[in-house]
Amino acid sequence: MRTYEVFLKREGKEEFRHAGSLEAADDELAVVLARETYVRRAEGDQLWLVDRRHVVTVAPEFLSPNADKPHRHNDGALVADHRRAQRDAG
Amino acid sequence: MSGRLSAGACEHLLAFADDEHLMGQQHAEWIGVAPFLEEDLAFCSIAQDELGHAATLYELLDADVDALAFGRPAAAYRSCHLVERPCADWADALVRHWLYDVAEDLRWDALAESRIAAVAAVVGRARREEVYHRRHADALVARMLAGGDAGQRVAAAVERLLPSADAIWEPVAGEAEAVGDGTVGASSVELQRRWRATVETTLGPIEWAALDRPDQRSRTKRSEHFPALHARINEVITLDPAAHW
Repeated sequence: MRTYEVFLKREGKEEFRHAGSLEAADDELAVVLARETYVRRAEGDQLWLVDRRHVVTVAPEFLSPNADKPHRHNDGALVADHRRAQRDAG
Repeated sequence: MSGRLSAGACEHLLAFADDEHLMGQQHAEWIGVAPFLEEDLAFCSIAQDELGHAATLYELLDADVDALAFGRPAAAYRSCHLVERPCADWADALVRHWLYDVAEDLRWDALAESRIAAVAAVVGRARREEVYHRRHADALVARMLAGGDAGQRVAAAVERLLPSADAIWEPVAGEAEAVGDGTVGASSVELQRRWRATVETTLGPIEWAALDRPDQRSRTKRSEHFPALHARINEVITLDPAAHW
């Protein structure tokens, strides 16, 4: 059996969203089973099935160093403080 | 509506409606007990579709669909024996679904050519739903036949069911009239030829003449399984004749 990740998109500007996953013996059976499992109440009008083996994954350790860099969060507070100081001084 | 249909046309449509009704009832037996969840949902959707097809066909004959579907004595049904038998084994239920839906497709094709506008009008929705039924059945049967234990179980189920499946094509007495007046676009003999060709494409050559077909007497004779099935589908309506669901 293979595991497929299921993505649905509604008509309009919404993006594809992950809806869940599904086990099936092959692509054709995945299509047939996904329709009634995930779209039986017209939850979307486009359906993507991605064989999980084809998903490129990244180890959490590779991502974790970026959790410790608050200076990369630019919320504008520093610039606002600087301008306020300039104005008050002026 | 039935006033505009010949007696033969009514009998022909009744046979198709009865097959659809009982097939839907039989498939619905798998609700909650199909081999896995996704298949449970798929198979029950197909069951609902078949019941819907039956209702639209019954409506062509009588506005009181429930009375027609449930209220007749056994002799008034025109179902084939394939849809009356229980299929307690999943391999049997799957193979019956496939053999039946290959046939059903062809029966809708023949009705699409109907000269009676009201008959041709009910075909569109059914055919759109049949695309799924065929794709579901074809994909599962092809996968199972690919080998191993599943392949052997499907092959054994084919052997059990093929005689009564081929007897889907035993016509009602009125079929000649229904074909003659254009209610249906093709005879059972012609549809059977096409059905056998499709079945052989998947299963390989078959000795059709050697099959031991059931005695259906132009679909007027019910099988031994019918009384229990009829009692079961009448459980609710017997309890409460005015029930709505």
